[in-house]
Amino acid sequence: MDFRYTEISLNPCTAFPAGVELKRPLLDVLLRNGKRAVSLTAMVDSGSDFCIFPASFAKALGIALPTGKSITFTGSADRPQVAHFETIQVAIWNENREEDPISFDVYAGFCDSVEHVGLGILGQHGFFSQFKVTCDHTNEVLTIT
Amino acid sequence: MKAFNMTEVLKNAPVGEWLALSPSKDRIIASSPDLEVALNAAKELGEDNPVMMKAPSPYALVL
Repeated sequence: MDFRYTEISLNPCTAFPAGVELKRPLLDVLLRNGKRAVSLTAMVDSGSDFCIFPASFAKALGIALPTGKSITFTGSADRPQVAHFETIQVAIWNENREEDPISFDVYAGFCDSVEHVGLGILGQHGFFSQFKVTCDHTNEVLTIT
Repeated sequence: MKAFNMTEVLKNAPVGEWLALSPSKDRIIASSPDLEVALNAAKELGEDNPVMMKAPSPYALVL
């Protein structure tokens, strides 16, 4: 299934005096836990070990934190971060919704410290481990098979 | 395949707030610093399955 990249503009700064048009491999994903479901935009991130979502989505899905299944990890921030894990269901459609969604279970982490990012993160364990993912930046297309 | 451009829809979005976007992501239905407030506001406005994301800072690169 093919997905268009998403383009977002950043304001000029000293590093990019003319601003910069970022093209990101973003997907809209439906997260489900039993009868509760919520959609969000998620970044396909081959550099992330796990699939991580902002902690507020746990509450929206009826998952009480802490779950008792946690891990401490590090990212670009200079401090340890804690993610609380639970198995949820994920569905991904492309924008025309003409094909059946890609649906899968994922053991995902929910983390306060990615709240400010405002995106889900689809990483190696649980996403790349289940699919062949091709990020074609030149042609601005992401393919999942 | 050309990238989907969100520049216009995000241009006046409240930075740092949760946005409830239409499924086609061409308009902001509701926003709030609180995810569930934004979700519920969108549902009250008739959109049962908004796509949630935070309005990015104009300077925010994601690493």
